[in-house]
Amino acid sequence: MPWNDIIVQGLKNWDTSLIAYVPDVSIDRVTSLIAADPYFHLVSATREEEAVGIAVGAYATGRNAAVFMQSSGFGNSVNAIASLCIPARTPIPIFLNLRGGPGEFNIAQVPMGRAVRPILDTLGLVHFTLEDEHNMDKIVDGAIKLCHANRQPVAICLTQLLHGGKLA
Amino acid sequence: MLRFDATQLLLRYAADYPIVSNLGPTTDELWHAGHRDRNFYTYGNMGLCSSIALGMALSTDQPVISLDGDGSLLMNLGAIASIGREQPPNLIVVVWDNEQWGQTGHQASHTAFGTDLEKVAQSCNIPQTATVDNLEDLSAVFQNALQTPGPWFIVAKITEGEYLPVAPIEPEMTLYRFRESFGVSGV
Repeated sequence: MPWNDIIVQGLKNWDTSLIAYVPDVSIDRVTSLIAADPYFHLVSATREEEAVGIAVGAYATGRNAAVFMQSSGFGNSVNAIASLCIPARTPIPIFLNLRGGPGEFNIAQVPMGRAVRPILDTLGLVHFTLEDEHNMDKIVDGAIKLCHANRQPVAICLTQLLHGGKLA
Repeated sequence: MLRFDATQLLLRYAADYPIVSNLGPTTDELWHAGHRDRNFYTYGNMGLCSSIALGMALSTDQPVISLDGDGSLLMNLGAIASIGREQPPNLIVVVWDNEQWGQTGHQASHTAFGTDLEKVAQSCNIPQTATVDNLEDLSAVFQNALQTPGPWFIVAKITEGEYLPVAPIEPEMTLYRFRESFGVSGV
């Protein structure tokens, strides 16, 4: 199963039907599937921290939710994660297009992309980095399971090695 | 119009509908006006009050009430555009507009210099909007909002009063109580 289908299936396995996101060209290969699937409600946010707030609101009323964003946008969302998700213990899976790795062409994407995982570590949040589809179904499913068990966000970092990245 | 008086008024009509409160005095005053399981108090994440309420409104059929503030909403004006895009008929945003950042030293906010949040909402295609500056008008428009499909965006001009004691709120318990009230596991 292709990586984007694996993510869609993982979300369905955990009854995660509200997806809030900010568009990204690589993430689009998942969110375009989600947009076309009536199981999901895909909400387009203007900024990544807004997406986090929308997802938390859905979870508060009993609907599982996830967010999609690029690593640059993760920088925009750090305070929302740190001051809302963590204190309230909201299990929101965060799917990131992790820029700044092998194949990166844009100097402006490197600093934030390289800082994502150290920031997650500093916040004490679990994260997984996917570079190929080997065992990906187990990792995605297991990451969302862990997310709910720990009642904290979990980040799933999708790399250019996995999805082919953005061409210069 | 004092925010606390206005909060007490809204609670008289809000039944057990979900209310999300902006950080600081708005949350404190909601707690003092009437603590209830359906109050989703925020104490951080400035700017996200109405985004949280949007996520709720897209996930329940009940009316969802956001008690936001001018300073906070100015931090996340995109939230208004997202509400206008999604058009949730059950979302009622009330903005306590005191034209200042009260808790940080009463610095004037942009609404003191001509920014009109109701016009922002109108330009974002929010169909039901109002600006009120007294309890009588707020009562009338809020009762109408509970009966008439929205989304609604109500700017309530307030004056700043004495701050009440900080409410004894714990975010994890807020979420726990709120979720349990929807019949799902708090954890």
